[in-house]
Formats: sequence, structure tokens, C-alpha cells
Amino acid sequence: MNARAPQSRNVVTQSLAQIGACGLFLLTLLAAVPRSFRYLRETTRQLWFVGAMSLTIIMVCGLFVGMVLMLQLYHVLSIFGGTSASGMVVALSVYRELGPVVTALLFAGRAGTAVTAEIGLMRATDQISAMEMMAVDPVAYVATPRFLAGLIAMPLLCCVFCAMAIFGGHLVGVTWLGIDNGTFWSNMTAQVDVHTDIVNGVLLKSLAFGAVVSLIAVFQGFTTPPTSEGVAYATTRTVVASSIAILALDFVLTAFLM
Amino acid sequence: MSQPRSSYAVGTGLFIVLGFAALAYLATQTSSVANNVRQGDSYDVSAQFTNIGQLKERAPVKIAGVRVGQVQSITLAPGRDAAEVKLSIDKRYDHIPQDSVATIFTSGLLGDQYVGIDYGSAKQMVAAGGTLARTKSSQPLEEMLGKFFGAGGVVDNIGGSYTVKADFTNVGALSAGAPVKMAGVVIGSVQSVRADPTKLNAEVILAIDKRYDQIPDDSAAAVFTSGLIGSQYVAIQPGGSPDVLKNGDEMILTQSAMQLEDLIGKFLVNGSPSDKKDAGSGKQ
Repeated sequence: MNARAPQSRNVVTQSLAQIGACGLFLLTLLAAVPRSFRYLRETTRQLWFVGAMSLTIIMVCGLFVGMVLMLQLYHVLSIFGGTSASGMVVALSVYRELGPVVTALLFAGRAGTAVTAEIGLMRATDQISAMEMMAVDPVAYVATPRFLAGLIAMPLLCCVFCAMAIFGGHLVGVTWLGIDNGTFWSNMTAQVDVHTDIVNGVLLKSLAFGAVVSLIAVFQGFTTPPTSEGVAYATTRTVVASSIAILALDFVLTAFLM
Repeated sequence: MSQPRSSYAVGTGLFIVLGFAALAYLATQTSSVANNVRQGDSYDVSAQFTNIGQLKERAPVKIAGVRVGQVQSITLAPGRDAAEVKLSIDKRYDHIPQDSVATIFTSGLLGDQYVGIDYGSAKQMVAAGGTLARTKSSQPLEEMLGKFFGAGGVVDNIGGSYTVKADFTNVGALSAGAPVKMAGVVIGSVQSVRADPTKLNAEVILAIDKRYDQIPDDSAAAVFTSGLIGSQYVAIQPGGSPDVLKNGDEMILTQSAMQLEDLIGKFLVNGSPSDKKDAGSGKQ
């Protein structure tokens, strides 16, 4: 496997080379999926690390996103006398956009960077080479479990985020601002559709974002220059590239799914 | 890495369970699935409407404002200019009198539409799979506003009307399509308004519904305004002649539109609005 992207000074050529190398790396990853089933325990451990350990930040952020969204909507909608619709608008905006996107951004910051730094340090300290010496496939043992864990964890985290956002919206809207409880739920259930909002919005988007973030994180870790400076750069690049990819992909997915 | 492996498995399992629980909660409690929990065990009746407006499938069905079911399907009745709406109502409310009226209402001014059922008084109930014979269609907002401003309720009497002519010295803001009323009831519409080049007055053609063919030929036509700022319409005040108006007849007695300016002028300065301009402005 060619670990490093071709060096070039031209930014465009460099980015293209990165994207190309990333795509090739994805193929390598997917090819290693059957072999990585041997390391199921490693996948579980990664799922614990990227998923369960991210729960706190996801839940707290989801709660506050729901609360602030409700607060803003209430004040805008009260101009038009439409505060009863605010629960529905919170649900729709969280399911369709905010839930998957914010969860993916948080996930890139919380889990993506950690994965990149871990793999980058493994490479810098020659642990990857040591695995190859011991005839352990580093892609199947290190990269694929982390990729699969990210793929599984993202939709679940996104669901938790959305549920917390609804809870936060309910807390502010019904408990504090005094929207009627029944109106809050009935307007929501009248407009939220399982297929377009939950499946296409929450699940499909977060699955795509999970794949992209995990791929970028693992790829950056594997291709980092084996120096401490290289690890720092790779970690930064993971966050930058993931954020751009998430927001760009969000637009494309929305255009196709809506 | 200091924890034993089994705790990873337990924690990961908890995480997965929590994620799926959140998904189940989102899908069943906050989405439209929450509305059709009682599916299958329902009492289905159908109703035909001439206009369903914005009614959608899964719209609520309400009796006395209480949600009792939902709209199952909306199809065009075969061979007819009417929409067939199947209502799926909770089994507990299967005692709907046969003469009940199904109406399409709008919740609020901008809200969604729903089907409301007003109970009748018949002893016989609609059987499951039966049809509610009496329906009231959705009221388009334009029609309601039109009625409110006095210009609506005009029926397009295609082929079912006869025309009479009336000359006015002034029609005000009367335009084609304005209603023709007798005793306050709309009986036709203004077909055309044009200026007569020789008589130098306005020639108005009125299209009156064929059902009202007993109007005496000495009836008077007047241009009235509905309300202070409403639109104008033609009112017919029946006369006493034994002969009736026929297609193409002309109405002799007419009363032109009152100009608001004239009226105010008359009221203020006894009919000479231009004389005492100074006095008028001096008072104000």
C-alpha cells in the first residue's frame, strides 16, 4: 500500500491527489472487511470508544440545540401568531438538517481526531510496520474496525441527538414558554413522516456522514508523515476535511433526497 | 485500555440499545406513525365531495372536534365529477346516523383541512363500508371572501340564463361578472358593460338564471354598493306589470350608481358641491 500521497506544491493537484488516494484507500478498506471479521472484539472496542464515549457530548449538545432552536422559533413565530407550529418546525429542522450535520461535526471533532492521532502515532512509532512483520494485516486490524465502528455509531448517535433535541424543545416550549403539550405533539406527528424525515433524514444522512468522517479520519491517520508534526497536521486536516465534506455532502444529499 | 474487555462489550451494548431506543422513539412517537396506531380495526365509510380543496390522505376525521379517525384514500369517483373520500373511523364510533353531514373544514385560517362529521337525527346508522350521502365540500377562500365582499356566489349559468339590457347614466365601478340580485339573492350576473356611442350612456347586459323568468317587465334595475366599501352589484326591484321580461328585452326604469362624493357633497352643502369650497375648508 502506498502510504503517502504524492508530494506536489500545487494546491489543486495536491487536493486531487488526496481525494484520489482517499478513494483508493476506501477500496482497500472495503476489501479488508471480510478479513476484519476475525477482529470483531476490536470492532466492539472501537464502537465503545467512538460511540459510547461520545454519548455525553452528543446528548448535551442535542439538548441545547433543541432548546435554543425552540427559543428562537418561539420569538419569530409569535410575530405571526404561529407558535403552535414551533414544535413541528423544531422536529423537522432537527431531523432533516441539524441532527445529522451537528452530530457529524461533533463526531469528527470528538472521535475522528482521536482515531487520526492514534493511528498516526502507531505509524510514527512503527507499530504498523511491526504488525506487518508479524503478518497481521494493519488495514484489517487497525483501519477497518475503526471505520465500521464509525459507520455503526453515527446513526445511533444521531438518533440520540435528535431525541435529546426534541426533549430540549419540549422543555423550553411546553414547560417554560407555555405552548400547549397536545398542540406540540399533534403538530409534530401531523407533519413528520417516517420515510422522508426519519429514514431519509436521520438515518441515511448520518450513515453517509459516518462513512465520510470515519474514512477521512482513518485515511489521514494512515497517510500521516511519521513525525509528531505530521500527526498534528493530520489531526487538523481530519477536522477541516471532514467539516467541508459533511457540509458539501449534506447539500448534495438534501438535493437528491427531498 | 485499562478496563477489562467485558466492560467494553457491556458499554457498547448499552450504547447500541440506547441508540435504537432513540430511533424507535423518534419513529413512533414524533412521526405520523403515532397517528395510525389503531390500524385495521376500523369502521370505514365513504363520502363524495364535489371539491376536496387541500384535503390530504391521513387528514383527521373529527366529530364534534374530537379526532375519531383519518382519511384513508382520495380517488376520483369513476365517471363522475366528484371525489370519493374513504374515511377510516375508530370502531368505537360506529354509530353515525345516515343523515349525518360530512364537511371539509379548514383548521384556522391557514391550517390543514380535515373532515368534520355533524350527526344527523336518523334512527338508521351508516353500515361499515356505506356512504355518507350528505356532504359539504371545501369552501375555497376566494369564494368565501367573495361572499363576504358581496361579489361572490355568482353561478356560471352556462346555457341556463337569459339576457336583458339596461341603460344607466352612470354605472360607477360596476364591472362584468358582478352579481345581479333580487331581494338580496343572487339571480344572475352582469355579462358586459359598455358605453353606448349614440345615447352616451352605459349599456349593461344582465344574464339572469332561467329559473327566474317571472320578473315583470316594468321592474327597475339599480346599481348598488354592498356596504360602504364593497363591490357594486345590480339590484332588480320588481314592478307590477303582468308581462314578464324575456330574452333580449330592455329594462326601462333604471337607477344609476350613487357616487360617494356626490352623496357627501349633498349631505354637507345641499347639492352644490362646488359652490362653497371656501366655507367647507374653513370649517376643517
